[in-house]
Amino acid sequence: MNLLDIRNLSIELKTKNGTILAVDRVSLTMKEGEVRGLVGESGSGKSILAQAIMGILDERWKVHADRFHWRGIDLLALPWQERKKIITQDVAMIFQEPMACLDPTTTIGEQLEEAVPNCQLSGYFWQRSKQRKLAVINLLHKVGIKNHLKCYHSYPHQLTEAFCQRVMIAIALARQPLLLIADEPTAAMESTNQGQIFRLLASLNQLKNMSILLISHDLENVTHWTNTITVMYSGQFVEAGTTKQIFKSPYHPYTKALLDSSPKANVELPPKSRLMTLPGSIPVLQHLPIGCRLGPRCPRAQKKCVQAPKTTNYHGHQVNCHYSLKDTY
Amino acid sequence: MLQFTFRRLSLFFFTMLLLSLLSFSLSYFFPGDAIINLSGQVNASQEELALLSQQYAMHESFFSQYWHYLLRIFQGDMGISMASQLPISDEIANLLPATIELSIISLILAMSLGIPLGFIAAIFHKRAIDNIILSFAIVGYSIPVFWLGLFLILIFSIQLAWLPSAGNISLLFEIPHVTGFLFIDILLSNSEYKWQAFYNALAHIILPASVIAIAPATVFIRLARSAMMEVLATSYIKAAKTKGLTNAQIIYRHAIRNALIKMIRHIGLQFSHLITFAMITEVIFNWPGIGRWLIESIYQRDYTAIQSGLLVLSSFIFIVHIITDFIYATLNPLARENKHGS
Repeated sequence: MNLLDIRNLSIELKTKNGTILAVDRVSLTMKEGEVRGLVGESGSGKSILAQAIMGILDERWKVHADRFHWRGIDLLALPWQERKKIITQDVAMIFQEPMACLDPTTTIGEQLEEAVPNCQLSGYFWQRSKQRKLAVINLLHKVGIKNHLKCYHSYPHQLTEAFCQRVMIAIALARQPLLLIADEPTAAMESTNQGQIFRLLASLNQLKNMSILLISHDLENVTHWTNTITVMYSGQFVEAGTTKQIFKSPYHPYTKALLDSSPKANVELPPKSRLMTLPGSIPVLQHLPIGCRLGPRCPRAQKKCVQAPKTTNYHGHQVNCHYSLKDTY
Repeated sequence: MLQFTFRRLSLFFFTMLLLSLLSFSLSYFFPGDAIINLSGQVNASQEELALLSQQYAMHESFFSQYWHYLLRIFQGDMGISMASQLPISDEIANLLPATIELSIISLILAMSLGIPLGFIAAIFHKRAIDNIILSFAIVGYSIPVFWLGLFLILIFSIQLAWLPSAGNISLLFEIPHVTGFLFIDILLSNSEYKWQAFYNALAHIILPASVIAIAPATVFIRLARSAMMEVLATSYIKAAKTKGLTNAQIIYRHAIRNALIKMIRHIGLQFSHLITFAMITEVIFNWPGIGRWLIESIYQRDYTAIQSGLLVLSSFIFIVHIITDFIYATLNPLARENKHGS
């Protein structure tokens, strides 16, 4: 059974000049124990999608979906309160800029303690504070912080970004979630720290069978850690498949261009030659093209592309293009 | 923290220097003889004036005059009042506590009314409650203090006869002067009518305190509302939502403290406005405070009282500013600097 099954999720932003379709019919499925990468340029709606799954978008945003199932439960049929309860119980999220996501006036220990749910504790209320503290220290050890006492009494600004991200992961782990959404967890971090955070996430995935939705703008960086990848462009679904499928035989012109633009994937490219890039830049939200939003930049675009393509599935490799590159392989 | 303290103290020193310089220069800017303006001896004979100018070093340079002026202020000698011929330092010592008492009670009233209302408005942003509170804030801010004071006297003292309209305690009670703060003095006294006196003083302070509090409270409503809305839009509130905390828990544990820290400095800045309102209100309610005394001395052209009163009142306001700065530094962990924990 799928852990998370989202079909045709759209997110609208209400502004004074009408509504803007920020995310246009994106589908996403997650299996248990899977690490899925969600890749796209900045502004392609990845973070908004993640926040819509968590239900923490404010009232300016409106979310529609044809299907939104969590472990077989239809969340759309449930009232808002219950949906929030189920999601916050089983899904946790970590953000980019971890330092900004921790309350600056509360110690790390207190913030961790309030994340430990009551159902994990036993006994009378006077025994609970001690149990909470013990649980917090265990969590800190789990994310690789050995000096737990010093960290417990610190304020967020006294720690480094990488430490704050570890604390955020510890907070996320407190409820033993089935799915962890990691929204660019290593943005603005040094590469050694990036490696540490990714290794930590990978070990959590292997040891606890925790599914991870890894959001990133960097395709080649996430490929080491993911089983499957979903690619988005400008709020539209582009392509989804296993990491190998995406890397070896991308069906969508955008994915192909993304791979061609990376120096690591093109080892045979002669030195000092130009990398392949698409002309133009990602459209702004106020001036989105109709149909396939890649249209104006796409090397394979034809007249038909002014109508949005339907997703086609080739043995689990989904692609959203009228003129997919499938036949060229 | 040590550096912070040192910086505040040096700021205090230089501001006091400038204030005293201004106060000293006023004796030359005011009409009349500088020595009479400084000392307040309006009825002195020619010989007495010569002796005074000897004492005040009036024939030496301005710097030396200023130095002697400072020395006298540190000895507690501010001259005598031109109108009453009483030492100004005694008058101020009698009157300042009443003003401090009134302004602190008004500040507490304004804070306990304004801050919760502002938070409620921010939490129910763009709903009916928000609009009601905001319109109350705008109406309250635009009502003139003297009009409100007279209006409340008309309703509560004259029409309904619930509350007294003048003074800070009924003349029936005789309270020995110990600290100057009326409520403390009442509690210290061992009169058998202690509690009657206390309730009487309480009834006297209600009207003036609420008149003073209304304008700062509306400012606090708007400050608290914007601070809370800013905090509620931050990413740590968003992250706290993903932890599965309820809205009440998020507001109580994370939002209120951060919003309050943002506000403390503004509260200190509002204090000078509050003193201005207090001065006007003291005149209306015949409150025996320094504000009424200062305004009366302006009417009577009592230049000695004006310059000393200004010096005392402005240093009081400045001391309050410094105290709020210290409270801010102790409450906000970001102001404490050393990094550890890695």
